[in-house]
This record gives sequence, C-alpha cells and structure tokens, in this order.
Amino acid sequence: MSGFLAITLLLAAPLLLAAAGELLLERAGSIQIGLEGTMLIGAFTAFAAARSGAGPHAALLAAAFAGLLAGAAFAAFAVAGRADPILVGTAWNLVAAGGTAFSYRLLAGATGSVLEVRTLPPLAFGLPAAALAAFFVPVAAEVFLARTRPGLALVAAGENPLALAATGGSVVAVRTAASVAAGALGALGGALLVLTVSPTFVEGVTAGRGFLALALVVFARWKPLRLVPGALLVAGATALQYRLQAGGSRIPYAVFLALPGLLALFALAAARGRGGAPKALGTPAP
Amino acid sequence: MNRESAARRFAVAAAALSAAAAALVGLALLAGTSPLDAVRALAEGAAGSRAALGETLARATALVLTAVGASLAFRAGVLNIGLEGQFLAGAVAAAAVGPLLAGSPLAARAGLLAAAALAGALWVVPAAYLEARRGVPEVLSTILLNLVAAAAVSGLVRGALQDPGGDYPQSRALPDAVRLAPLAAGSRVTAAILIALALALFATLLLEWTPFGLKLRATGLAPAAARAIGLPHARLRFLAFAASGAFAGLAGGLEVLAVTGLLYDPFTAGAGYTGIAAALLGGSHPLAAALSAVLFAALGAGSSAMQRDTGVPGALATIVPGVLVLAVLAARARLARKAA
Amino acid sequence: MSIAAGRLAADSGEILRGGSPVSYRNAKGARHAGLVLVPQHDLLIGAASVADNLAFLDPAAPFFESAESRRTRVGRLAQAFGLELGAADARVDALPVGTRQRIEIAGALAGDPDVLILDEPTAVLSPNETAALFASLRRRADAGAAVVLITHRLAEVFAGSDRLTLLARGRSVKTCRVSETTPQEIGGLLVASAEGAERPGPTTSDVPAKARQFSNQPLPSLALTGFAPNVASAVRTERVSLSLSPGELLVLLAIDGNGADTIARAIAGLERFSGRVEVGGVPLPPSGDPLAFRAAGGAFVPADRREEGLVAALSLSENLALPNPPGSVFLDRAAMRAHAEERLSAFGIRYASPAALAGSLSGGNQQKAVLARELAHRPGVLVAVHPTRGLDLASAAAVRSRILDACRSGTAALVVTADPDEAQLFGAPLRVVTRGRLSAVLEPATPAATLGRLMAGLEG
Repeated sequence: MSGFLAITLLLAAPLLLAAAGELLLERAGSIQIGLEGTMLIGAFTAFAAARSGAGPHAALLAAAFAGLLAGAAFAAFAVAGRADPILVGTAWNLVAAGGTAFSYRLLAGATGSVLEVRTLPPLAFGLPAAALAAFFVPVAAEVFLARTRPGLALVAAGENPLALAATGGSVVAVRTAASVAAGALGALGGALLVLTVSPTFVEGVTAGRGFLALALVVFARWKPLRLVPGALLVAGATALQYRLQAGGSRIPYAVFLALPGLLALFALAAARGRGGAPKALGTPAP
Repeated sequence: MNRESAARRFAVAAAALSAAAAALVGLALLAGTSPLDAVRALAEGAAGSRAALGETLARATALVLTAVGASLAFRAGVLNIGLEGQFLAGAVAAAAVGPLLAGSPLAARAGLLAAAALAGALWVVPAAYLEARRGVPEVLSTILLNLVAAAAVSGLVRGALQDPGGDYPQSRALPDAVRLAPLAAGSRVTAAILIALALALFATLLLEWTPFGLKLRATGLAPAAARAIGLPHARLRFLAFAASGAFAGLAGGLEVLAVTGLLYDPFTAGAGYTGIAAALLGGSHPLAAALSAVLFAALGAGSSAMQRDTGVPGALATIVPGVLVLAVLAARARLARKAA
Repeated sequence: MSIAAGRLAADSGEILRGGSPVSYRNAKGARHAGLVLVPQHDLLIGAASVADNLAFLDPAAPFFESAESRRTRVGRLAQAFGLELGAADARVDALPVGTRQRIEIAGALAGDPDVLILDEPTAVLSPNETAALFASLRRRADAGAAVVLITHRLAEVFAGSDRLTLLARGRSVKTCRVSETTPQEIGGLLVASAEGAERPGPTTSDVPAKARQFSNQPLPSLALTGFAPNVASAVRTERVSLSLSPGELLVLLAIDGNGADTIARAIAGLERFSGRVEVGGVPLPPSGDPLAFRAAGGAFVPADRREEGLVAALSLSENLALPNPPGSVFLDRAAMRAHAEERLSAFGIRYASPAALAGSLSGGNQQKAVLARELAHRPGVLVAVHPTRGLDLASAAAVRSRILDACRSGTAALVVTADPDEAQLFGAPLRVVTRGRLSAVLEPATPAATLGRLMAGLEG
C-alpha cells in the first residue's frame, strides 16, 4: 500500500506544479494552452543538464530557469504583444515539441538506446524533496491570492482589468509576472517527470500531461487548493490502473485516461455561470 | 480575420517567410549541416519524385480538411480548438462503421464518410451547448473533449473495436475493396486528396458566394452588430462550429479510408493543431489554409528524407509551422498597435 | 477630471493645487498625492468579497493581511463615512448596484484623500441613497477635504454644494457660488449653450401632418404594458405603459444614463424586460430576442453605429443586404449592388462605390446607411437611439427628415435623444426620462429651458 501511495504522490507532483502555474496565469486573465510544450522544455533542459554532468538538483534549477525564459517569451507575444493567447499557445506546442525532439536527437545521436539520468534522491514517502514541495505550491498560491496585495492585483487583472488599471496597476506587468511563474512551474513539472518517474527523456515524455493540467485547473474551478484532490484523483487512478493491469484486470486503461477530461467537463457543466472562469480570461490587456 | 490591406498582408508574409528561413538556416547549422544541403534534401523528399510528391499529398489529405474546418470556425468567430477530438471522432466512426457496410464499395465509402462527418459534428455539441447556454469559453471545453476523444480511441482499439485477428491495439482493417487505390505506385496518396481540395474550394464558395456565408462572415467580424442587425447570431455560430467539426471528422474518416485503412493508438499526430496553424497562416481563408496545409505536409514528407540524408532531425517539420505562426501573430500584433 | 487624476495627459494649460502647479503622470501618483477620482462605471472585482475589494482599493493596505483585518476595514469605512456597504464577506456581484457604488466611493475615501472627485455618482442611486451619500460628502467637506462633484442633476447641485462651474461643450460657461444663482438660471444656461444660436428653430415644414388613421391597422404599432427593462447594471426604470399608432412619433429626451436607451434597447430585444411589449399586436419574449422584434416588423438604429450599426469590414453592398441577403443558393451580387445603389442615392449618401468598406464612410453617411438599411422594408416600428449624435447639421437634418418620411408612410417611431433642440425639431410629442421615470407627454413647442430643467431633474 505504501508503494501505491508513493506512486500516486509521485505521479501527482508534476501535475500539481504545472497546474498551479497555469492556474495563476489564468486567474490573471491570460491562458497558455501550450503548457505541454513548456513541460517538454523543462523536461529536456533537465535531461540535457543531467547528461552534461550536472547533479539532479542542478538540473532542476536549470529547468526552472528555462521555464522562466519560456514564460517571458510567451508573455512577450501574448500579453505585451496582445496576440491571441490561444493561437500563441497552439504554435508554442508545435515549436516546443519539435524543438525538444530536435535537440534530443542531436544530443542522443542516431542510436535508439535509452540514455538514463540520475534521479532525485528520495526524502520521505519515497519522494524527493522537490516532489514533496509540489504539494505545498497550491497552498502557497492560495495564500498569495487570498491574503496579499499583489495577489489581489492578479485577481483584478483576471476579473476586471480596467479596475486594476484605474488604481494605477499594470495589467501587462501582472500577467507577465504570472506567465514567468507559470513557465517556471510548468518546466519544473516536466523536469520532475524526467528526474523521477521516467528517468530519461523520450519524445513525448510528457504524454499529454500538459493538457491534463489544463483540465485540472478547470476541475478545480480555478481555486488552488482544489488542485490537490484533483491531481491525487487522477494520479491515483493511474496508479490503480498499473496495479490492476499487473493483477490481470480487464478494466480498460482508457477509463482512467478519460477521467480527467470527463471530470473537468462535468465540473464546467455543473457549476453556476461560466464554471468559475475568470471574467477576463483570454482577453487582451487594456 | 478582417480584410487586410495588400501592404499589410505583404508585411506579414515577409515577416513569416524571414522567420521561417531563419529557423531553417539556424536548425540546419545546429545540426552541423549546410543549410543549402538541408533545404535541398527537404525539397527532394517533399516533391523530388513521384513517390515523394505522393507522400506529401497523402499527408496533406487530412491536414487540408482540418485547416479548412478551422478556417470556417474562425471566420464565424468560434475558437474551435477541438479539431483533434473531432478528427478522432470521425476516425472512430469510420473504423467502426467501415467493416460493417455491405454493398458496393462506393456506397460503403459514402456511408463511412458520412458517419465520420456526422461524428465530428456531434463531438462539437457538448462544447457548443456549454458556450451557448452558460457562456463557458469554447476553448476550454473543446480541449477537454480532445482529451476524452484520445482516451476513447485508446480504449476502443484495445476493446470494442479491436481487430479480433490479433492482439495489437488497432481496429479491424477496412476491406481492400473499400479502401481507395493509390494514385501513384509506391505511395500512399489516393483520390482522397482531390476530395479534400474540392471541399476546400466548396468552403471558399460557401463563405464568399452564398447568403449563408455572408451572414457567417458578418457574425465573425462584428458579433455585436450581427445581433443588433437581426442576424441569428447564436444559430450561425453553432452551424459554423458544427460544420468545422464535420470537416475535421471527415478528415479523420478520410485518413482511415484512404491512408491507414484502420484505427490505431495514437492516431492524430497533431492533425488538429497543425490544421489550426495552417488556418492561421492562411488568414482563415479556406483555400489559403489548404495551401498552407499542403506546405506543412510537404515539410513533413521532406523531413524524413532530410533526416536520412543529412542527419538534420526531422522534428524540424514541426518547428517550422510553429515559427511561421508565431511570426505571423507577432507581425499582426505589431502592425495593429502601430495603427492604433 | 481624468487629466487631473492622472488618467489622461493634458494638452495645454496647467493644474494648480494649493497654489502650486502639479501634474500627475499616472493614477497611482495621483492617489499617493491624495487626489482620487471615482469614475462612473463599475470598477470593482465582481467575484471577490466586499472586504477584498476594499483592500484592493486601499492604497495603504499592507502586503499581507489577515481576513479579520480586511473585515475590520469594511466596518471602519462604513462607520467613518456613514455608508451602508453590505456584509464584508458578500460577493460584490451579488450586491445591488447602489451598494456597489457606495463600496467604490468608500474605497476612494479609504486613502483619506484631500481631493475627491466623483463622476455622476448618483446615476444609479435611489433618492434615499443619494441623500445618505451627500450627508457623508458634506462631512468630508466640513472636515477640510475638497469634493468635486460632476453631475447633471441640478437638484443635487442646489441641495448640497457650495460652488458650481457649468461646463458645456468643453468650455466653462459660468462659475459662481451656489447661493448667488437659481436653478432656473442654470437650467436656462444649460440648454441655451447646448446648441447655440446657429441652429434654426423648428419650422412648420418639419412638423409632420397629424398621424393619419390607417384604418386597416386597428392594432397599435407598438404597445408597452407595465414594461420595464430588466438590466442589473442600469438605473431602475419604473413601469411604463404607452402605445404608438401607425405613423406616430414619440421622442424620449434624456441625458445618458437615465434609462431611455435601456428602454429602447429592451424594446428592440437586446435586453431583458418585464411586462409586455407588443409590436403590431405580436407579443415579444421577455428574455430579449432581436429576431422576434424584427419578425414582428421592428427596425432598430443603435446608438453606436460603428460597433452595432454596421459591419465596418464588409462592403456597403453587403451591409445593405443584411440581414437577409438575396439569392437562393448563390449570393445575387448583382441584385445586391442594384439595391445598394438605389438605397445609397435615395438617402443621399456619398460613396465611392458599393464595394467600398462601410467603415470608410464618414459618420454622417454611416448613419444614413444604417437608416437606409433599416427603413428598406417599411417597418411597422422604428426604434432609433441618438440617431443624429456626432453628425453635422446637414446630415442631422437629413436623418431627421428620413425618419419623418417613414412616419408619413405609416411607420411608428420611438426616438431617443439627449439633445432638447433635436427633440423639438422632430415636431412631435416628447417625454423626458430622468432616473428611469417618464414625464407626462409634452408638446414639441415646450420651451427649451423647461426641457432643460426637466432633464436636469428639476420640476418644470
């Protein structure tokens, strides 16, 4: 059972990081559907750093830094540049997926062999410190939004940007900061994957987790604390599925795969109004 | 997408082309190859022989249709990001219905494609409903539907649709008689590409030359005015949404019918998202989007040859479309702000 | 005022404060210096609580603040300024609009500004709420702060203020102490300066013949029974019952924000309403359905011609063909072109070609194009909101005469305008709308000064 718990927590951690970052960005009024791409960037950066001799923690930092840059780049297009964030995100996925696959091939050469990296050392419950920390990120986000001044500014940017502008705040600055944070968190999520769950990088290592994280934000109705049960539910279902398959069960994996999307759709349908989405979601800064 | 002045369109196109060229050169150099060699290999792999051209057109078949579908939706102001899921829905319908249809091959193909288009249109309904009744942004619901569709495919090819003849995650193959014969020996291209291009033409005619198309364009260009003028705003949006889903579903159906012959997991290789990129590049005009789709398909076809011959990783074919779109978005945004 | 509060950059002149020139580059700088503007429109975070909103608006709020501290602030502000702010944890978008206005004001007062500027603060307040607000503003002024009130309601000016400056058309017309003038004088100045001496008075040729009895149409063209628009963010309108016969024209005269345009939009199906609306005897759905309005024979000319009147990016030919372009399978572009040319010349619109984009026309021509489209099919009812706003005299006259022509052919018309001279030039009965209440029907020859006073909220 402790193995089951460990796997669940380990699977949930990358999701939590990526989803928390995206949640902050969406609460600020922007949206990055290219989260999958950002996770890939983080995953590859960690992999590349580890392969060039850096320790796993340094690799994590490198990934975070790459994520910061990624977030800044996204904001340059979609926030300051006022291009439609959905369209930027679509292109982002293409560039990031292609870019990381391209770079991986160059790094790994034409061989098909798997290149392993050192994983993060476990701290408790079979989890490394970084994965454990992932569970505190939603709490930090909640406190930030609910109790601090910059948090209020972020909420205003997503609900009524004109109100923020009227008090002298800059919607562009707030959304850019949120994008940088979301980039770092998304990249860390990808890095965690490489440094724990799958100790290597392959094309598509994220396997749609970026989109899954988007679904989790919707399912949590944009409230940070609700990300935790959502992520645990999804991760637990996956862990359960591993167990069941090993035991010869016939419940199709597809059920577990479909769960996040279905749960989020039901959350949207069941909620009052727009499902709790920030009013100014996806609109350009004034 | 508004009517842009010729000067503006030229500026945007120039920006896009320079960005793409820069990307190509940069990526080739990174891979340690001369850019000229890389481009030559790419071009040869895309159109250097009949087989190569055939491969390009085969890849373009589904892509043209998703690009056209995206264009229709965008022109009406609907942000349909769910083309992936609608594509899969169509593919599932084709793979499910195809082996069951009796009668002449022509009837079987027609039935299969009709089922695929219908499935794609139906896959739009939950998102359309949530948007119309609750104001839920269709971006969110369509992405979620993508996830569900991918999961459904994964389950179906291992379960209900699985080919009983083996234990692979794939569906029963369509009977050979139903499948379309290749146009050129040694390649995968079939008459399906002609169907796709004809439909692109049809979509253009629909938008520019029919009353329905005019109403649709008005709704997309000025939603507030559309409502005040007395256009059935909600109905028009829904029809555009459903039509784009039908096109994407048809793309999935054609992919099964004409290219692969069966359904497997994973199936899309990003056809939906790449279609969106092509539509953007084409300014949401169906024919221009179709052309962009062919271009992307050419990149894809040429990239494996390029990788084989020069060692430049084929992933370039995914990077360049993304770079093109980013360049277009940045150029348009910059011009819009200068004008303001 | 936006310039003073740092919102917009000044083009010329300077602002003096305490005798020395100041200039604020942005709103934050202005706030820090103790000058705050409370604008007309809702600038609160709807999804957040009252406590959170007031924390957001408080420039002195700490970086990290407990829920308790935020709640305390609400009570403190409510008490200090005598404002009813609602429960601290209530979601702002669930509160009535009057409460939201007070929260906005409390937020502005929180920073203890020396100069408080309020732009039309009572637009959405009931008389009681207005009185309460003025009491607290009086207290602020007595405590030494300067309060600048921008309003068109003369009753408020004379009830609570010390000095006034009358602005019209960007110019200061009169500055004096309130005790030195009377409502009558100000009301007269308000109206007289609105258009000036250039405007011709109403001439007999502009007065339509009395509405002929169209005996084959026993039903009124437009009938409102117990009707009131149901729009949360606008001023509450009282129930209205009126009816228009074919060929009858009624002008609703009101300053923006008093509810007249909401009434018009609700009739046209663009807003929800309660009560009954019948167009040509056909009841319209209260949820607001522009298609039903048009199907019953309605036509609508919106206030914002660029955003709602025309599709700027489509050609004139295409615009005039909407909403029902000709052609069964294919668009009949030849018919569209012919129709467009006919309509454009019938309305005297100057254009390069029917293929020109609608957005390329001048304002006057755009408005004429909207009318040309709306009047093409002899509607039973025409609802027009500010149809001559922003137009030169000639275009305005042309628009007016087109509307009158339509009335002569049997269309009933409801015109909303904010310009009393404009209203009189229609030569038709008018009703003044203030705070959502309609006055009695007035003759078109009612003196402009009377109209001005009524519009400003004073009794005639």
